[in-house]
Amino acid sequence: MSGSPYAPNTETDTSEMLDAVGVSDVEALFDIPEPVRFDGDFDIESRSEPAVLNMVSDMLGNNDDLTEFLGRGYYDHYVPSVVDRLSLRSEFLTSYTQYQPEVTQGFLQALFEYQSILVELTGLPVANASMYDAASGLAEAALLASRIRDADGTDVLVPEYVREERVSVLENYVAGHDINVKRVGTADGTLDIDALTAAVDEDTLMVYAESPTTRGTIEEHLAEIGEIAHENDAMFAVASDPVAMSILEAPGDLGADVVVGDAVLGMPNAYGMGLGIFATRDDYLRHVPGRLIGIGEDQDGKRAFTLTLQTREQHIRRERATSNICTNQAWVALRTAIHAASLGPDGLVDLAEQMVELPRDLAAQLDALPGIEAPVHDRHHFREFVARTEAPASEIAADLEDEGFAVQAVDDHELQFTVTETNEHAVDDLLAAVEEVVA
Amino acid sequence: MSFEIPENLYYTESHEWVDPETGKIGITDYAQDELGDIVFVEFPGVGDHLETDDELGVVESIKAVSDIYSPVSGEVTAVNEALEGEPELLNDDPYGEGWLVELDLDSTDEVESLLTPEEYESQL
Repeated sequence: MSGSPYAPNTETDTSEMLDAVGVSDVEALFDIPEPVRFDGDFDIESRSEPAVLNMVSDMLGNNDDLTEFLGRGYYDHYVPSVVDRLSLRSEFLTSYTQYQPEVTQGFLQALFEYQSILVELTGLPVANASMYDAASGLAEAALLASRIRDADGTDVLVPEYVREERVSVLENYVAGHDINVKRVGTADGTLDIDALTAAVDEDTLMVYAESPTTRGTIEEHLAEIGEIAHENDAMFAVASDPVAMSILEAPGDLGADVVVGDAVLGMPNAYGMGLGIFATRDDYLRHVPGRLIGIGEDQDGKRAFTLTLQTREQHIRRERATSNICTNQAWVALRTAIHAASLGPDGLVDLAEQMVELPRDLAAQLDALPGIEAPVHDRHHFREFVARTEAPASEIAADLEDEGFAVQAVDDHELQFTVTETNEHAVDDLLAAVEEVVA
Repeated sequence: MSFEIPENLYYTESHEWVDPETGKIGITDYAQDELGDIVFVEFPGVGDHLETDDELGVVESIKAVSDIYSPVSGEVTAVNEALEGEPELLNDDPYGEGWLVELDLDSTDEVESLLTPEEYESQL
């Protein structure tokens, strides 16, 4: 039997190698305990490449091809082809993130640009080279708060509108630290200031808010929330995203000490993958988790990019590192930077304006239909909104699925609709389907 | 190479010094030399109470990050903010302008259990 490009060793090659090391068979090279061994059969026959392609295509053909109006943290924006074209170049698409300044000035510069874009959008002077996702960024913000001296306390206050998955990550992440997560009530889709005032006390370590929120509303009281946090020596963390921040006032200018969230740009909306943004104040520079790229000079005095302040990180500081994120999603950050740069400031603002108009128009059209009211909250919205239904929302969602649309039921009589430039072409069809289903 | 070890101070095996007259604490000439160029110093909060061997701060150099431990117990009354802008003072003048923190000592007797200049020198 001859080898293949994917498994190049023939049986002869294998036996020669086994002879050379004095071992009877491949099994003898491994020492895997019996209880964890899989001794079944994977039931995979070898096939030719075209046969495998056909088989997998047939399998994927079984998927429902639904038009999605889903959001709640994961958004589909059109990724320009330049993003693939550049990011798939072999200098960029490597199996391990390239950080060595001697050989990878290009990648380091791209990451520096990514950080710079976030500094501009967040209004905060320091941004790291990314976290895993918005949820881990939120959790790292809580740990940052526990490290800095001007915030003391144990309670992290999280609004009711934040979706459970994000809160669950936060709770898991801070387990073992002296940190408790507490929920604060909302009023018409944004944080209830009275409830916050009642909940905040000397034990408050951090106050967290989102804008846009998980329910699509714009949080109108960020500055006020920040003041309440700061009056109680608590840190103020805000989640947003680069598209929203292109049009909203920069959270840093409203008193946010940390901005987290999802980069949204650069990747297709698939499998729940995110890219966590993380920006903070200069004072907290040495407490920032994750990688930081800085500008220095080489021995000839030329500008050079390099990892900086690595003494925060676990390969230097071991168990006392600021966080155990030592690598990150640098390639995704690169794609985000290319996407943002290709839109440019004007393109980002145009996109953001669309994200205000599209849900406003869809909500108004839904509201005109019998059996559905939209939006539930009398607020400005971004990308998405919640609608109230007379019939049970889960039944309507199931009927819409039969019609080819994915819409999420978020409560007994609440549906959430998300609309961006990638699904707006299907709005009329969706409206027709809703009218039919609700009637 | 010989290091400066002032006569009026007490020392620890981990290379901190304390001045019982002023309550000032720092790291020794030997320690700054071992660390190399200091780039950052992290302090406790003024008003914090430290027990003996509590972490008093962190000194970061281009080579390493070192925790500094309090040789004695007391309340922090001042930190050397000059080091925030000029951490190199710690290299240049570890017993003078490069002091780290000032404590209001709980008891002046505690220094008796520390190393004398002679004892410290003999362990280098």
